[in-house]
Amino acid sequence: MLRQALFGIAWLAITALHAMAADADPLVVQGDYLAKASDCTACHTAPGGKAFAGGLAIASPVGTIYSSNITPSKTAGIGLYTRDQFAAALRKGVRRDGANLYPAMPYTAYAVLSDPDIDALYAYFMKGVAPVDAAPPKTSLPFPMNIRLSMMAWNLIFLRDSGLQPDPAQSAAWNRGRYLVEGAAHCSTCHTPRGFLMEERSGQAFAGGQVGAWYAPNITPDKNSGIGSWSKPTLIGYLRDGIAPAARAAGTMGEAVEHSFQYLTPSDLDAVTTYIETVPAVENANPVDRFGEGKPGSDLASMRGAVIDDASRGSVLFQGNCASCHAPLGQGGTDGYFPSLFHNSTTGAPNSNLVATILYGVNRTTAHGQAFMPGFGGAKTDSNQLSDHEIALVATYVRAEYGGSSAAVSDEDVATVRQGGPSSPLVLLARVAIGVGVVAAVGLAVILWRRRHRRDASQSQRSVQTGS
Amino acid sequence: MTETNSADIIVVGTGVIGCLIAEQLLDAGHSVLMLEAGPRVERWQIVEKYRNLPPVTVTNLDAAYPPSRWAPFLDSTSATTAADYLQLEGPNARAYRQDYVRYAGGSTWHWAGICWRLTPDDMRLKSLYGVGRDWAFDYATLEPYYTRAEYAMGVCGPSDPELQWPPIRSKPYPMGRLPFGPGEQKFTDAAARLGLKNLPSAQARNSGVSYDSRPPCCGNNSCIPVCPIGAKYDAASSLPRIEAKGGKILVNAVVYRIETGAGNQIQAVHYFDPNGQSTRVMGKLFVIACNGIETPKILLMSTDTRNPRGVANSSDQVGRNMMDQPKLVAAVMLAEPAWTGVGPVQGSSIMQTSQGDFRSEHAGALLRFNNMARSRLGAMQALKTGLVGKALDAEIRRLSACTAELTIEHELLPDPNNRLTLSSLKDALGIPKPNIYYDVGPYVRKSAEIYSTPLVKQLAHEMGATDVKVTTEFTNSDHIMGGMIMGADPTDSVVDVDCRAHDHANLFLPGGGAMTTAGCGNSTLTMAALALKAADAMVAQLAHA
Repeated sequence: MLRQALFGIAWLAITALHAMAADADPLVVQGDYLAKASDCTACHTAPGGKAFAGGLAIASPVGTIYSSNITPSKTAGIGLYTRDQFAAALRKGVRRDGANLYPAMPYTAYAVLSDPDIDALYAYFMKGVAPVDAAPPKTSLPFPMNIRLSMMAWNLIFLRDSGLQPDPAQSAAWNRGRYLVEGAAHCSTCHTPRGFLMEERSGQAFAGGQVGAWYAPNITPDKNSGIGSWSKPTLIGYLRDGIAPAARAAGTMGEAVEHSFQYLTPSDLDAVTTYIETVPAVENANPVDRFGEGKPGSDLASMRGAVIDDASRGSVLFQGNCASCHAPLGQGGTDGYFPSLFHNSTTGAPNSNLVATILYGVNRTTAHGQAFMPGFGGAKTDSNQLSDHEIALVATYVRAEYGGSSAAVSDEDVATVRQGGPSSPLVLLARVAIGVGVVAAVGLAVILWRRRHRRDASQSQRSVQTGS
Repeated sequence: MTETNSADIIVVGTGVIGCLIAEQLLDAGHSVLMLEAGPRVERWQIVEKYRNLPPVTVTNLDAAYPPSRWAPFLDSTSATTAADYLQLEGPNARAYRQDYVRYAGGSTWHWAGICWRLTPDDMRLKSLYGVGRDWAFDYATLEPYYTRAEYAMGVCGPSDPELQWPPIRSKPYPMGRLPFGPGEQKFTDAAARLGLKNLPSAQARNSGVSYDSRPPCCGNNSCIPVCPIGAKYDAASSLPRIEAKGGKILVNAVVYRIETGAGNQIQAVHYFDPNGQSTRVMGKLFVIACNGIETPKILLMSTDTRNPRGVANSSDQVGRNMMDQPKLVAAVMLAEPAWTGVGPVQGSSIMQTSQGDFRSEHAGALLRFNNMARSRLGAMQALKTGLVGKALDAEIRRLSACTAELTIEHELLPDPNNRLTLSSLKDALGIPKPNIYYDVGPYVRKSAEIYSTPLVKQLAHEMGATDVKVTTEFTNSDHIMGGMIMGADPTDSVVDVDCRAHDHANLFLPGGGAMTTAGCGNSTLTMAALALKAADAMVAQLAHA
């Protein structure tokens, strides 16, 4: 309670400052709201950096992409963009200089943004954002992804070309919700699994996808795999505060709540949830009830009274690293600040989120206060540094004791999350394919050369040794 | 003997002082090598060791930190082990049983986190009251470093100047204050009825929010012996950050000699590994930050032809003026429950009783409510009654809830006779054990007799005590100060205003040992402020080199 009171004071101060800074121009105000709904800051503001000055290193499966400066700076930002060039960047992924953006920029979602909303966003980024004249690092992806022209072909296949037509059979809330979910909020960017070419897989919309170290789970209304068991108020509460009875927003979703969803109006939150409850339910393979798995428990009876600091036991690592907050039986705190570890989607689902949470912690700030868990070695500066093996042990213990699963987490699983998530086979495959092509071409040249030499030899009646 | 590669700065000791300095110098672009006598362990290992201790070790708060053979320190497990390392003599030998650990991260592993500043008057005892010494600079000089230290460690404290001590600050605390638990509130109310103000302590503990990627305090109430979640600042939490910035940390490296060269500059330090193999380490600047006992010990061991009384000791003041706050404790039985133990182990103190014209006659004192949970004490006491079943349960509850402990910490004057010397007894590596003569003196005794003990009894009765027992034997507060005393005059002090040894231009001896007077409050924040001041001087010195 104290935590919340202290926090409330700081929050009031921040929002008051914000209100003072708000521009009187209604178009700019609307653009500010849309920029929040679109969560532009998540990628375009680096931690501790100036607003929208870019430079955030985004670990993508094909390499590190640096976000661009989208302040109205004429030298480093988008200050020279016309309204139409701005619209082309958002909806078509084309820069002012004609180069293609990588789809780390969710232009396939922003493609649905309406003209009036583009106008508002343009007004905001030109008038409501302070210019920053510092250029972020350049993105240089490995071959062949460094050829931005390749994105033209990708766009031909995967970029839809027009906005959404309102569906008169549905409510206004549903239509507004669809516009936000498919557009500004770009939910599918993370929650839809990606195909071989990093495209969102058709027929799998919102069925869950890997986003670097974190997994964006199935948010379709499927009762087993998705969030069909959630009530509408639960879903709204989760989007606004990052808190649901059996789930907490962390990682990229924590950022989405902090920077975006908490600012949505109640009617827009209602619209988003109205729509998402109607998308086609998709059941994943081997579904588990990630919200209902597990029960309280501990190994304390075999630990206390003996002098034990045995790093080979997950339960010992758990008591020493986790139980001081999550409580000895994993039941969490009474006020919900420390979540219970059973009936918790992070421990109940077989994805990377448990390991990512242990490595990187949680740091989500909303009007509700700060939710904070330290990382245990995801950053080199973390005060507690657990090894891949120790995290594998404790995660295996937590999954078994509180997540209802006996599947072990391996050291390699942890190493993968520590390096930012699985990398795409795309880079390797492309290189192999090109390599195969080169070998084939060389081989063909050799064969042709031999043939010609044979021909020459037969003509001159000389035997020619052809080295191979 | 092997030689090891040098760094710009060699820091001996990885406690709060060494770590603060290391980080400042790394940030300024210099290379840093830290040497630590003891081992490096993870937080969870200490936490689990502590939780697996038998309840009888409840008063033995260092039990979660067993000393290593090569880096011994006072082990309070038994009377025998307690007498093994520190050799104590004099009328108040018992009161210098200082608890510290020789582990990477140092003794902030088990500090309470309390961050009182000295007051301007605390720094001018000689001119105001004709006792002790004056500092070589005033409060205004130290204030910016106090503020920086508060931000470096993450200190929470009250924003209301009426509740600040002293209310002379250039910036607010980085975080707001923590609330009082019910026991501390009861004590605060009782004090107020007597016209005394119990102030929320400034404390290096995260209140409500994270700080430096460490979580907010969630009230485990085990600050001593270890914060299980790192909500309390401890230097160990900064070790990974120091390494991430390029600092090197070498553990189990027991420095036993400081080597001087031309111009009496420090050339190298020598350390033993656990097997007694020696290594020589060179650098440009040297920091010895091994606390107020181990640092003077190393200085006294490092005799050579230029420094026959030991390094930095031309004044003969090394190891003298050993200070602490001699402590007395009131055991209080209450009619009503106080519910001690909600929140951190300490959270408040009456500070005004440390100041006043009486200081020309006797010591001032800090008075506080000890907020360490009493359930284990209550249980052990109840078990002795022979009760069983529900009656035992009820008695455990009563004793846990309705007993309290009030603590008095006195100001001790710097006295050259309170002196650390080298014992003829040696440790496992053949290094002399420290020998300390300690007498709290008439200044403190008079305070206990006519001032502090009567006050604490009044407070206890005002809280509704049915019984009060105040100890008469002084005990340690673990605030080791004075052994490398600071002053402007090289003939009667060891270090200058930047904690630089008067005798050696490239040797810095920051920390509690450099403090000229002790005050009544916990010493760490002043030590940290002096460390940052020294770090600034070191950066400037390297820039001019």
